[in-house]
Amino acid sequence: MSTMQVDRRPAPWAAGNHGGVDARPGPRSAAGTLCLKVMETPNAPNPEAAAPPAAPADVNRRLGALLGQIANGDQAAFAEFYQLTSRRVFGMARRVLIDAELSEDTTQEVFLQVWQNAAKFNADAGSPLAWLMTISHRRAVDKVRSSQSATDREARYGASSQEIDHDSVSDEVGSRLEAEAVVRCLDTLTDTQQESVRLAYYGGLTYREVAERLNAAVPTIKSRIRDGLIRLKTCLGVS
Amino acid sequence: MNDMNPQNSGRTPGGFSADIAGDLSSGRAIDLAEVYALHALDDAERTAVERHIADAPPAERAEFEERVRQAHETLAMSFGAEEEPPAGLFDRIVAALPAQQAGPGTDAPSAPPVVPRPVHEHAADLPVADELSAARQRRDERRRPQGMRNWLIGVAAAAAIAVGGVGVGAYVANQNDPLNQVLQASDVRKATIDVIGGGTASLTLSSSKDAVVVKMNGVPAPPAGKVYQMWLIPKDGSAPVSKGLMDAEALSKPAVVTGIGAAAALGITVEPTGGSKTPTMPTVAAAPLGA
Repeated sequence: MSTMQVDRRPAPWAAGNHGGVDARPGPRSAAGTLCLKVMETPNAPNPEAAAPPAAPADVNRRLGALLGQIANGDQAAFAEFYQLTSRRVFGMARRVLIDAELSEDTTQEVFLQVWQNAAKFNADAGSPLAWLMTISHRRAVDKVRSSQSATDREARYGASSQEIDHDSVSDEVGSRLEAEAVVRCLDTLTDTQQESVRLAYYGGLTYREVAERLNAAVPTIKSRIRDGLIRLKTCLGVS
Repeated sequence: MNDMNPQNSGRTPGGFSADIAGDLSSGRAIDLAEVYALHALDDAERTAVERHIADAPPAERAEFEERVRQAHETLAMSFGAEEEPPAGLFDRIVAALPAQQAGPGTDAPSAPPVVPRPVHEHAADLPVADELSAARQRRDERRRPQGMRNWLIGVAAAAAIAVGGVGVGAYVANQNDPLNQVLQASDVRKATIDVIGGGTASLTLSSSKDAVVVKMNGVPAPPAGKVYQMWLIPKDGSAPVSKGLMDAEALSKPAVVTGIGAAAALGITVEPTGGSKTPTMPTVAAAPLGA
């Protein structure tokens, strides 16, 4: 397994300086102090070792413990966290952004944020998975809004919404039991509630853009989103 | 008009306004929790809601936050699309990690940047022999706010992230001023670097504009009689070039530093008021500009 990829690194720093630094540079050698250490990655995730299926509560407990270790700079914990969650982060980014490269950038930024902000995670404020997916969704939405017009997003969403409908409620959800609950609970929403929430979530649209796309009044869309999410929450037993 | 849901009758039924300001002024802030949690507000609306909630009575704020939290849990459970990320992505992420854990509260010194002092004790530390000594070294250097070497590694790595189409939508204002020309360039790269003494500096670089925008966030004002001074360190090894001063007042404004094409790095130092001809080491912040 390759331990690093150099293509995105600032190349002038990668060579020569490795491991060496002038401890007390004069002005003429100041540049030499900016060295770049090649980081070892002894604990990169093993793609063969797929995570065993686990109940959401177990996954969250494990993720919470890992975040505590990541906060202390534990790279092995970071690798496991990535292994457990990267499919979710990348999968969501792909639905929102479609573009593979933007999705990859977003995923990278999200996990860098995890590494840097693990200490900020507060279990009282939510589950690790919700924390992660909130960060991820925000990043993806920011990125899609800055890189694509609303018209593009709406058109694109229209082209892919069938697929989204299918896979967001099928066996791609973490566990079979949870998937069934999600399918059942999504069915308790009206079609218009489902559509509004999905357009906002996977389409990256604002409520105003959702209203324009659906030819509905703006206050109506806000109500649909609120009522749809509250109904879903109640059905899923989120407390 | 509203497809209200009778089973949630604990809430006052009633309509939303056409805009967010109307919702806030009519006391419906809490009912925006789900729309907020879904990131379905634009930036200005989001800020308005956050401001309103920050000033709201504690009970209202608590209810809003609770509803946001529940909405986030609900969304994380309900929208579970998965897709295998590209092979090698994890390696790239690890390669971009700051070598030193920089979690807030663990090592961010609260004191303002003070008198620079030499850091020659680090020369003997290298190279790192094994994981244990690496960990020990990280721990030691965390205790030393001006532990220059390891910190610079973090800087170098942090600057390697976020190449390419990074969103700058929030900054869009006047497209013609130099600041926005850089922020809106098609080739911007972004990095955030820690500033010794507290806070961060966000850098937005554009090779095509030959400039970097430096914005300080939460950086304490320089000590009395001191200013921050920005430098470009030329690639050819010649002496650092001063690119301007930042006093307490200028600290909140973004600064445009041009001429990065010939520079290997950007450095920020603390200097006596009026600035210096050569930087007083160590830097309080530095970043490679591998263009």
